[in-house]
Amino acid sequence: MLEITDITVRFGGVVALNEVSARFTQPIGGIIGPNGAGKTTLMNVISGFVEPAGGRIERDGQNLLALAPHRRAHWGLRRSFQKEEIAEDLTVFENVLVQIDHGRAERGRKSAEVLRMLELVGMADRMDKPGEALNSFERRLTDVAKCLVGSPRIVMFDEPAGGLSIDETRQLGRLIRAIHDETGAQTLVIDHDVDLIREICAETLVLDFGKRIAFGPTSEVLDNPKVKAAYLGTEEIGI
Amino acid sequence: MRGLFHVTPSGWSGLGFAAFVILLVPELAGSYWLSVFTSAACFTLAIAGVAFLYARLGLVSLTQVGLMGVGGWVMLRLNHGTDLPFEVNLVLSALATMVFGWILALPALRLRGLYLALVTLMAAGGLEIVFATFQFPNGGEGFWGVTIGSSEPFRRPALAQSPEAYLRYVAICALLGFLLIELHRRLQPGRAWAMIRRSEAAAMAAGVNVTLYKTWAFGICGLLGGAAGALLAGSLGLLDDGTFRASESVMVFALAVVGGARYWQGAVIAAALYKILPPLLSTWGVDADLAFVIFGAGLLHAVITAPDGIAGQLRGAIVARFARKERADA
Ligand SMILES: Nc1ncnc2c1ncn2[C@@H]1O[C@H](COP(=O)(O)OP(=O)(O)O)[C@@H](O)[C@H]1O
Ligand SMILES: [Mg+2]
Repeated sequence: MLEITDITVRFGGVVALNEVSARFTQPIGGIIGPNGAGKTTLMNVISGFVEPAGGRIERDGQNLLALAPHRRAHWGLRRSFQKEEIAEDLTVFENVLVQIDHGRAERGRKSAEVLRMLELVGMADRMDKPGEALNSFERRLTDVAKCLVGSPRIVMFDEPAGGLSIDETRQLGRLIRAIHDETGAQTLVIDHDVDLIREICAETLVLDFGKRIAFGPTSEVLDNPKVKAAYLGTEEIGI
Repeated sequence: MRGLFHVTPSGWSGLGFAAFVILLVPELAGSYWLSVFTSAACFTLAIAGVAFLYARLGLVSLTQVGLMGVGGWVMLRLNHGTDLPFEVNLVLSALATMVFGWILALPALRLRGLYLALVTLMAAGGLEIVFATFQFPNGGEGFWGVTIGSSEPFRRPALAQSPEAYLRYVAICALLGFLLIELHRRLQPGRAWAMIRRSEAAAMAAGVNVTLYKTWAFGICGLLGGAAGALLAGSLGLLDDGTFRASESVMVFALAVVGGARYWQGAVIAAALYKILPPLLSTWGVDADLAFVIFGAGLLHAVITAPDGIAGQLRGAIVARFARKERADA
């Protein structure tokens, strides 16, 4: 269970998050909301890139806010960015290996784990390709493999389906749903594609102007009149 | 997956070039050019350090020649103050300069781009003043070890007493420096640096300790600069503060970019432009200041058309040529 309590973030005069709370209990949770609602900022707080003015974030008794960002990664936090961050001059294999480099396991064990996850996402045949030679879907798949190695506990995706085709999005959705069974990790997904959220997320948090406007089982949340109003005119929500 | 000791075509050409410098150049060059080439080899090693920092992490250091001065100072001090063999002094000079590199890394952890460049330039300016005030040790008494008048002789490595052997010695040290960088690049630090260069947030999310690896990189840059300064001291026997002005550090960085910071050839080209071109112009009867005009043109050229420097352009041309040949063969 990931417990977010009263998180507040201010950027100068802008209140990006206003006492946001949510207890994610399901294997996959969603975070939705219009542009600028504060979704990425919430992930940045969980990752440690943004320091909140107040609030707590806990998982299994571990206070995440007490750890430096790279220590959170060692602890088991994984994060994929809105714009995937694949190093151009590393191969696919190396890009994934970085994530478990710090660990004490011997090199052979690490290689085997990287290979297993590359096979899972379907990139094992391209593992020697340099990052700069990858197309956007291959980058995304590499990113997913990176999130899977090293016994993750929480995996977060920020708009992973951005720029992908319908087929690719479907394939990505299947992969995200496999994460819990493969690794036991809990997953959080931000996306604009409400169909994707409806399909893979059991519970969803809705943010608007930095405030929580709804939280709960995804189907209920999407039927909530306040949520419909927040999306009014955007057509993105197929309700 | 490539093995750790896999040699790329570029690696083979580097080894070939090193063999050429070690085996042939000392046989062919006269005593004047031997000393020119030895200086150039020292600066190749120092430039490899700044180029590495710039290419791997995008960090600008304008202190490298100042750090060479630190390494040279420690070498001279140890040479005149102790009976330790040259190799021990070389390692100690490099390590002492590495610590200087770490100190330089302190601002680098907070600053970037122009601000970092300014801070490193200020450090170079500070070193310039220290060197100008206290001069380099030449066998005198006390901490600064400076005596007026005739200086004590310098002890070269037992293995390399003659100028020919010393050029070989420096070339081998430079080769080891390049191998050290390449080894790092292929191991965990190289992966961490690649992530940091991509984005610090992404690196942290990948579990990379950004502070540690940035500091480490500055340490390596300092280590190479210090070794280069110590080797230069061994070549000349004494050092002059004019060699280590802040402006020289700026020049060396600019030339590293002109040469091509990502490739070993870039460091060699930069050192050749810096140390071989001016005496070459002199022997042709041309004013050596023309070198500055050539540097400026090279810099403009790099900024406008060749982000990977001259080395990058040459490599591009060679690759294109091979591609054409392959198409023609097919
Ligand atoms: N580093 C920052 N500095 C200043 N303002 C920021 C920063 N990051 C986000 N914001 C602001 O916070 C608000 C929420 O942004 P964000 O979390 O990126 O929204 P989204 O829900 O689209 O991901 C926006 O108004 C944005 O302009
Ligand atoms: Mg966002």
